Amino acid sequence: MGSVLIGVWAGIFITAFSTGMTEQYIQNQLNTYVGHIQIHNPKYLSENLPRYNIENPDSLIDALKSKPFVTHMAVHSEVQGLAMSSANTFGVSITGIDTTEEKNISTVYRQLTEGSYLGGKAKNPVIIGRELAGELDLRLRSKLVLNFQDINNDISAGSFRVVGIFNTNNSTFDKQNVFILKSDLDRLLGKSGIVQEVVLRVDNHKQAPSYAQQLQSEFPSLKIQSWGDIAPELRYADVSMDYTMYIFMGVLILALTLGIINTMLMAVMERTKEIGMLMAVGMNRTRIFGMILTETFYLIFVAVPVGLGLGWLTVTLLAETGIDLSAFSQGLSAYGISSVIYPQLKSMHYLTISVMMAIAAVFASLYPAWKALTLKPVNAIRKL
Amino acid sequence: MSVIQTKDLRKTYNDKTIPVHALNGVNLEVKKGEFTAIVGPSGSGKTTLLNVIGGLDEPTSGEVTVNGDNLFNLSESELIDYRLHHIGFVFQAYNLIPVLTALENVSFILQLQGRSSRECKQRSMNLLEEVGLADRVNNRPNELSGGQQQRVAVARALAPHPDFILADEPTANLDSVSSGNLLDMMAELNEKEDMTFIFSTHDQRVIDRARRVVTLVDGKIDNDEVRNQ
Repeated sequence: MGSVLIGVWAGIFITAFSTGMTEQYIQNQLNTYVGHIQIHNPKYLSENLPRYNIENPDSLIDALKSKPFVTHMAVHSEVQGLAMSSANTFGVSITGIDTTEEKNISTVYRQLTEGSYLGGKAKNPVIIGRELAGELDLRLRSKLVLNFQDINNDISAGSFRVVGIFNTNNSTFDKQNVFILKSDLDRLLGKSGIVQEVVLRVDNHKQAPSYAQQLQSEFPSLKIQSWGDIAPELRYADVSMDYTMYIFMGVLILALTLGIINTMLMAVMERTKEIGMLMAVGMNRTRIFGMILTETFYLIFVAVPVGLGLGWLTVTLLAETGIDLSAFSQGLSAYGISSVIYPQLKSMHYLTISVMMAIAAVFASLYPAWKALTLKPVNAIRKL
Repeated sequence: MSVIQTKDLRKTYNDKTIPVHALNGVNLEVKKGEFTAIVGPSGSGKTTLLNVIGGLDEPTSGEVTVNGDNLFNLSESELIDYRLHHIGFVFQAYNLIPVLTALENVSFILQLQGRSSRECKQRSMNLLEEVGLADRVNNRPNELSGGQQQRVAVARALAPHPDFILADEPTANLDSVSSGNLLDMMAELNEKEDMTFIFSTHDQRVIDRARRVVTLVDGKIDNDEVRNQ
């Protein structure tokens, strides 16, 4: 009974851990840099040149504000360039942001490990990721030169002062992105109010693809993508999460079925003489079959609910406190995963597991019961 | 009136390799109320004979008739039902169900027969009282001595009102005092209730108490002695 109980508990826990980790990974990426929907000039996506900006951004912004599903919006000026320090040079994506808008669509401001966010008194402030700071040997208040092409294809450069260093649990993002004030970037690009990117958050991120499609038909000259198109790895993780869970459940149920068969076969074999005696004194095969089935169900209906209860308790408690995997934070952050995992499992999945267990129990009980039926009383008791 | 009759009963094991003739033409008639011991050296066919008479093993050829019914004309389910209602078994190793009390070990046979729980309990209590275990009805087998366990087994065998009781070496695992007590009890049941007992044994004390002694040698009846006691 213990093995069945532990099997159910472990299955619930592993499934919840995996779900929690995947869901956190997706949410981290959406909250950090992807948003739910992004809007660009189609050419900007292929050429990456700032002159391919969004035309008449104000009318687009007004139209987007009227959409009931849009909860937050931020406009970016953006350019690819080089970040240069006295120690090194590194290719980065430079994003000009409006700090008030940006806080509604990105959590980078909450992930500062040193210094402060943009918008203070410092002139030409920049915030950079911890990984880039390491590459360029930069600290707070270090000078950083950003060099890129402006909208006229001329080389433009600006000197910035590091005011904050962030750590987003995604080392790639932290290495390749710097954020400056939109007004500063616009000036260097050569045009005020220029917009290369609009990022939206919507009321339900699962609905983002259909909202994006709706906007695309309204604004055919622009490229409007939902988060699944912007970061296909996130869509893959989202889709594969369910499959992974069913695979986990399948493995769990297979292991449980084998566990039940093993337990009940042992019970039948250990009680060969007893079963032989029962058959000898007149217990018919239907009753013997029913007896083994009943014992299996007893095993299942005690062990599985207790295992489910313990699993629920474990997941509920750990969903509050989280599982601290700081010891592996470097490896996890390379994949954009937080070092504290909060397991989660929908109540529907507890039901699914219960139903699948019950079905597995029926099948698992058949073989031991059949095995009991094949015993011949004369052999089972050896002697009368 | 004969309860059991066997005609030219033969049983051969391993007949595709080296055949072993466990029964080699046994003709036996047991009348109601007999107290019969089947004796003989090891391998003489005692246990096989009891297994075949009890419908647990099929003969290679020959007939077993119980109260006029040929046992091996019955289907498997009819044979199981026949054992439940007409034959009582006492096993050498008692074979009680360890998780059940003495009372439950006796009454489950009656439950199999579909009797009411009140009737099951009443008859089981009476039988346990009859075998001298009225004060141990709620004890499990591991709380009883070997002799007491075998008494529970006898009470269980008697429970369904069988036509006869088959006992395979019932005293083999008992000390001399327990064996004596068990034999006294079986003899008393035989006399009082006219219950037919057939037991295989090596035990001289059992043989001395039997009123008929059938000696098997090499699967054949070598001697059939009826005593007047």
